[in-house]
Amino acid sequence: MANRQLTFNIFRYNPTNPKDKPHMQTYQLQETEGMTIFVALNMIREEQDPSLMFDFVCRAAICGSCGMLINGKPRLACRTLTKDLPPEITLLPLPVFKLIGDLSVDTGTWFRHISLKTEAWIHTDKEFDPRAQEERMDNKTAYDIYEAERCIECGCCIAGCLTANLRPEFLGAAGLNRVARFMVDPRDKRSAKDYFEVIGSDEGTFGCYGLMACEDNCPMELPLQQQLAFVRRKMAWAGLKR
Amino acid sequence: MMNHHVHVTDVLVIGAGLAGERAAIEASLAGLDVTVLSLVPPRRSHSTAAQGGMQASLGNCAMGQGDNPDIHFEDTVKGSDWGCDQDVARLFCETAPIAVRQMAHWGVPWSRVVAGKRKLPSGKVIEEPAENEGLITARDFGGTAKWRTCYTADGTGHTLQYTMDSVVIKLGITVHDRMEAISLIHDGEKCLGAVARCLRTGNLVAYVAKSTVIATGGYGRLYTASTNAVINEGTGMSIALDTGLVPLGNMEAVQFHPTGLVPVWILITEGARGDGGYLLDKNLHRFMPDYEPKKKELASRDVVSRRMIQHIRKGYGVDSPYGPHLWLDIRHLGAKHINTNLREIANICRNFRGIDPVKELIPVRPTQHYSMGGVRTNIDGKVYGLKNLFALGEAACWDLHGFNRLGGNSLAETIVSGMIVGRKVAEHTQGVTLEYSGKLIQDNLAQQEERINNLIRGKNGKENPYKLRNEMGQVLMDYVGIFRNEQGLKTAVAKLQELHARAQKIGLQTDGRGPSPELSQALRVPGMIRLALCIAYGALQRKESRGSHAREDYPKRDDVNWLKRTLAYWPEGAELPKLDYEPVKITELPPGDRGYGESSASSTQDQPAGGGNNG
Amino acid sequence: MSLVRTLGKNPRCDLYLDLAQMISGILLVGFLWTHMLFVAVILLGPATYDSFARFLDDYYLSYIGIPFIGLVALVHVITVCRRIPSRYQELWEHAKLVRHTDTWTWLFQLVTALGIVILVMIHVWSVLTGWPIEAVKSTERMTSFWWFYIALLLLGEYHAGFGLYRIFVKWGWIKRKTIGWVTKTITIIIVGLGLAALWAFLQLGGAV
Repeated sequence: MANRQLTFNIFRYNPTNPKDKPHMQTYQLQETEGMTIFVALNMIREEQDPSLMFDFVCRAAICGSCGMLINGKPRLACRTLTKDLPPEITLLPLPVFKLIGDLSVDTGTWFRHISLKTEAWIHTDKEFDPRAQEERMDNKTAYDIYEAERCIECGCCIAGCLTANLRPEFLGAAGLNRVARFMVDPRDKRSAKDYFEVIGSDEGTFGCYGLMACEDNCPMELPLQQQLAFVRRKMAWAGLKR
Repeated sequence: MMNHHVHVTDVLVIGAGLAGERAAIEASLAGLDVTVLSLVPPRRSHSTAAQGGMQASLGNCAMGQGDNPDIHFEDTVKGSDWGCDQDVARLFCETAPIAVRQMAHWGVPWSRVVAGKRKLPSGKVIEEPAENEGLITARDFGGTAKWRTCYTADGTGHTLQYTMDSVVIKLGITVHDRMEAISLIHDGEKCLGAVARCLRTGNLVAYVAKSTVIATGGYGRLYTASTNAVINEGTGMSIALDTGLVPLGNMEAVQFHPTGLVPVWILITEGARGDGGYLLDKNLHRFMPDYEPKKKELASRDVVSRRMIQHIRKGYGVDSPYGPHLWLDIRHLGAKHINTNLREIANICRNFRGIDPVKELIPVRPTQHYSMGGVRTNIDGKVYGLKNLFALGEAACWDLHGFNRLGGNSLAETIVSGMIVGRKVAEHTQGVTLEYSGKLIQDNLAQQEERINNLIRGKNGKENPYKLRNEMGQVLMDYVGIFRNEQGLKTAVAKLQELHARAQKIGLQTDGRGPSPELSQALRVPGMIRLALCIAYGALQRKESRGSHAREDYPKRDDVNWLKRTLAYWPEGAELPKLDYEPVKITELPPGDRGYGESSASSTQDQPAGGGNNG
Repeated sequence: MSLVRTLGKNPRCDLYLDLAQMISGILLVGFLWTHMLFVAVILLGPATYDSFARFLDDYYLSYIGIPFIGLVALVHVITVCRRIPSRYQELWEHAKLVRHTDTWTWLFQLVTALGIVILVMIHVWSVLTGWPIEAVKSTERMTSFWWFYIALLLLGEYHAGFGLYRIFVKWGWIKRKTIGWVTKTITIIIVGLGLAALWAFLQLGGAV
């Protein structure tokens, strides 16, 4: 498969340039052994077009910076090997998020807004005592929290989600999974009723259509269907109980 | 000149990784107005990539019983090869357990002790004490006497950063992400903030602050093969050095991690060896016990890295198109362990190399990993040379790590120093009244604007910033790597000086409009080359071997002449750094045998590049 | 959120609508599958079919059942309509941009829903105007409009099968993969049964 001539169709638009219009631009590249989209984009930028904008940070599928539509699928560019793709590769920025330029989108602002909206931090009245031993926790509980905490906020679930594309205030799988993380955490003292006020609506848990593009596109392979269902059941129960 | 936005705040923190955010929290809790700048959204910081863990002597798990700050201190000092500041190490080791517990209070799902017997991969059976069930557990890491590295499955850095950022959000701390500080504002005596370029729009903003804190992480990306994130280009150190007043400490102390995945150089965490992984050579022979009978694969990183290169040089490396490498073998740990506790490693192998570590060997080679050096500060995090300026984390030379950092001590440093330095920043800032001249701010802005315009117009030349960066990376790889010698280092300095001269003539190919990535690179490269020169020149001058600094021509540690810290200054217009030295403070533990490594009595005497026992 | 929405909205409104959609959906699926089982009685012969129809009639089951199902269908249509955006072309654009199977099956559900609404109205009208149900009349309709009934069968079963699948996915009682297999299998059986019944009617058409 190596030694192929690859054709990249890349979305180009620089919003800071009033004369620029969104368009697709084509680049040719010789495939190398073990090439990823990360390698390819850097080669294009360094050798063909220094103005090309895209985001990478860890390039190891940990930080969640490089989500983009690769041949129509929201994926992390750093861990997408070109050998798994046909010789013609189309790259588009993730939908839903605000475009910064070319393939770069503002996921950071979006996720910070979600964190603020869902108050995604531990709510407790307890003061930290620096001299005391830590509170005990069952290792299984710690692991369950971590399972939800593993989300890297790359935005692939949001980009592929029909509801998130139609409804700007929808929390999406990442947001609801974040809520699930605090629901299973015994340190957080919020009640189901508290959560219902924030997510017991079509902007939260009941906005999900159940298409599961989130789960299918999640690069971390989070069990999003189970998490979303867990939150939905819990919220339905909380809503019906009163 | 364009009209630029000026943002006034009490505390300006540059960098939103763990260290920056922790310090920001401390200042905010003290009632100060804090503004954090970050190249990327905070949760994308390189801190998240630290999979392994955070050292703190809680002593809860079976193999950590009896642990205390004294033993942690001893391990840290030995690890540093007596290069660290012992007051700092003492303070750090005493505070680390509190830091871990506070992070638990804030929400980190630390892995916990599960009582009962279990069998280690080595065959040894241990019993976790029932009375400690549910307390924070720890795993084994290189260079430690006890199991001390607290962790959350395979994502310690990730959970720490997310929890830290949740507190930042809760406190409503102002964070300006995609904002790069490109120069410090100062009047020759005190720092007044920074000029930053917005990476969304390309606009310049002046941040004026009572106190400025540099927490920008390391410079790993100076090297071509580095485990670091691509944003780790040493920008914070660079702008500090460019003041001409602030020294960088021990820049020649560069850590190589033994296990970078060939050829993408993604880190395979020390947890793999801590949990019982082996290093094998081309004959599938486990060679580390031959060199380090006591610590085997778990000697400190500098030692394991050197032993690996030594072994490759003897012809035992596995040939590949990317040069010779060795194997990491974790197959015997079993599918269940690999797919849960070491899942990140398994995913990296599968996704970036197409191999399954449950069944296959992992190709590894030592790779640049960490910078012990950085902006030199005192124990309070106050930077030498400029008032109102602080630094912490990997960007700083607080000097916890000396010439080699222990695995698990960097995550711990970010948070512990965040607590300590953050408090000092808060105390300091409360006593400062902001006084500045508007002209100084305008002049600083105008200076940066001119620099940008010159790059865009190609006023000084047409050098390509990417080419210069790549050439610099190769020089460092070739001559300032794991083993160093006079001739190689001289070549490196000469080549880097030539690159530095060319870097004055960078000109863009594009119009540099808006958040131009080419302009970002062009603004950084000259400073990066200056950092590279500090590393190479410092290494050339240091005529001994200590920790990660291994001179083939001076293989012994020399405590008589070199028990001192390098301070590199860059006077305006200079072509080389000006080096100065200060003594290393030894308060408790006098220089001695590390217990592992080439100069240790417990190692084998088969040492092509090693020396005798320094005693 | 705007002031009007804050003041005017029952905080549990979205929950109730969601539950109404789910319950009406489940009832409709139940009805559809029973309906197909009833129709398949023709496989046991026209006499059994007629007496079965008369049985339902005698005990007023049809008179309760049909309006009730009509009401349920109305609730279902109303609650589902809130899912359809006013700028419906966005659905199309999204589905084209992001290549994802379940998104397309959902879009198809929307299309089948439209088809079902039209076809069911014709079907109900033709059944009611020819009341009571008898094998002879059914056979007549089937032989003349077999293509209509094949279309209705496929659209209805597709919509019901995937609708049920999605309900289970959203509430998560059973694993997604498992429920996918179960609903697909049931759908195939019901479609098979329907086709068999149709075949039986066509045979009768030739014989009567």
